[in-house]
Amino acid sequence: MSHLRVLFIGLLLALAASFSTAAWAAGSAAATAGDARLQALERKLDNSLQTIDQLAARVHELETQLAPAAAADEADRLAKVESDLAQMTAASSAATSADRGLAMHGFIDVGIGTHNVYDPARHGATVGAVDFYLSPQLGERVKGLVEMNVEVAHGSGSVGVDLERTQIGYQFSEAATLWLGRFHTPYGYYNTAFHHGLQIATSLRRPRFLAFEDQGGILPAHTTGLWLTGEARDGDARLRYDLFVGNGQHIIGGTLDPQAAGSFDGQVVVGGRLGLKPGGVLGDLQFGVSYLSGRVSSEDNPGLTRLTAAGLYAYYDTDSWEHQAEYYLFRNEDLLGGTGTHRSSAGFVQLGYRNGLYTPYVRYERTALDQTDSYFSA
Amino acid sequence: MIVKRVWRCLFVLSAATALATAAPTVARPAMGLLGELPAEWRDDLGRTVQLDSLYGQRVILAMAYATCHRICPVTMRNLQQLQQQLDARGSAATFVIVGYDPDADDPQAWHQFRIRRNLLRGNWLFLTGRSNQQVRALAARLGFEFWKYDEHVIHDGRVVVLDAHGQLQLSFGPGAALDAAAIAGGNAIDSRGS
Repeated sequence: MSHLRVLFIGLLLALAASFSTAAWAAGSAAATAGDARLQALERKLDNSLQTIDQLAARVHELETQLAPAAAADEADRLAKVESDLAQMTAASSAATSADRGLAMHGFIDVGIGTHNVYDPARHGATVGAVDFYLSPQLGERVKGLVEMNVEVAHGSGSVGVDLERTQIGYQFSEAATLWLGRFHTPYGYYNTAFHHGLQIATSLRRPRFLAFEDQGGILPAHTTGLWLTGEARDGDARLRYDLFVGNGQHIIGGTLDPQAAGSFDGQVVVGGRLGLKPGGVLGDLQFGVSYLSGRVSSEDNPGLTRLTAAGLYAYYDTDSWEHQAEYYLFRNEDLLGGTGTHRSSAGFVQLGYRNGLYTPYVRYERTALDQTDSYFSA
Repeated sequence: MIVKRVWRCLFVLSAATALATAAPTVARPAMGLLGELPAEWRDDLGRTVQLDSLYGQRVILAMAYATCHRICPVTMRNLQQLQQQLDARGSAATFVIVGYDPDADDPQAWHQFRIRRNLLRGNWLFLTGRSNQQVRALAARLGFEFWKYDEHVIHDGRVVVLDAHGQLQLSFGPGAALDAAAIAGGNAIDSRGS
């Protein structure tokens, strides 16, 4: 047993010795190969460092050569940025209402007082109307105009909405624009100069006979139809013309209606206006003539009256004075009752003096209406 | 040691000079707000006026329309008084009136306007825009609010002052007194009565 143990130990020692010899031999061989590899690596590293040095030198050389060009590029780039910025700012500034949506403007009419001219039984604060005004430019030559008035009826206090003006126009040139829709009938001066926004007029109230239809006016303030308007200039002199054709007026409950929903009786009204602003020393004066004619129907009678009205107007406007006058002659033909032709007249003169914030004015108004004329009595 | 420092300073100075010389140059001079406004207008004789040609001058700018008899006459009167006050101080300024409505207020209309109101000094310009858009762009940039109600122009009586660098110096709101001393004074941006 002990021999066997000695033999086994001997074998183990021999095996260990052979392993250690092999390991030494292998380690020795590896060490030799590693040295060679290390040397090769060192050579490569030296080469690489040289290459890097060369490249760095070349880069430096190139940078030195390119520096002025880069500065010039930078200047160009900055100039371009500034130019772009200026253009963007200009474009932003030039943004029109069309770019920002449709601008809506208008007027609010509120008041307070101890006397109500429309209804003496009422006192205190009042709300007259809210007037919304839009004038979209729908294209280079196409434009629109909408004036919507939410108004409180003077007597009843009820609230009503009126599309006072709703029109689309095509501008052929400065000398000709054709409008379609409901517009302010071009006669005299007042009706197309002072609209529903009271702020622009010297007087809060229109001349009585020129009141809007629903406030008792005797002339058709609105017409639904076509309106051709334009002006010709010679120096600062201007000649303005208007021609229109529209649905005949209809009387409902004693009030003229321009039949915005369409004419159901086929009647038409036609008319026109010619105005001159002489310019020069008369640059503050304008005057003109107007004419309208058409069959007017009522709820009961489709062809009640042929309304014919011819008018004169003058308007003088300076920094100190504002004077205006209009005068109309009516020649209405009774088409049903056989009472013949009725002549009436209406006019006003208003003189105002501009004194800073205030413009005191006086107005004289006179109407002489034939009460046998079915147009006025309807 | 001192000599070395001197040489170092000289080197730094020369390098700075070289850098300043080589610094990027801008394609056109910065004109401030003036440079941002639409450039091309017509005066009352129909001549083209480049608004940025006013760079370097103090510009007092208002908007108006020739047939206005309520607000614009007051504005014109105030501007005339301002002109007198600036004259008294020996201060120069260019007065620019831009028309709200280029359709109604063409050069001819402005020319008559000048004659009727005796606004004939050479440093007053009455400008007509090429289009409504151009006028709106200028008004928006300078804070002039207006809108047209048929032939009426609803507007106020704002006046703005641009300094010689084209920057907004002062803005006088409606009803504010035009202050010649403030205009002739510094370049600070101020807003009065608006």
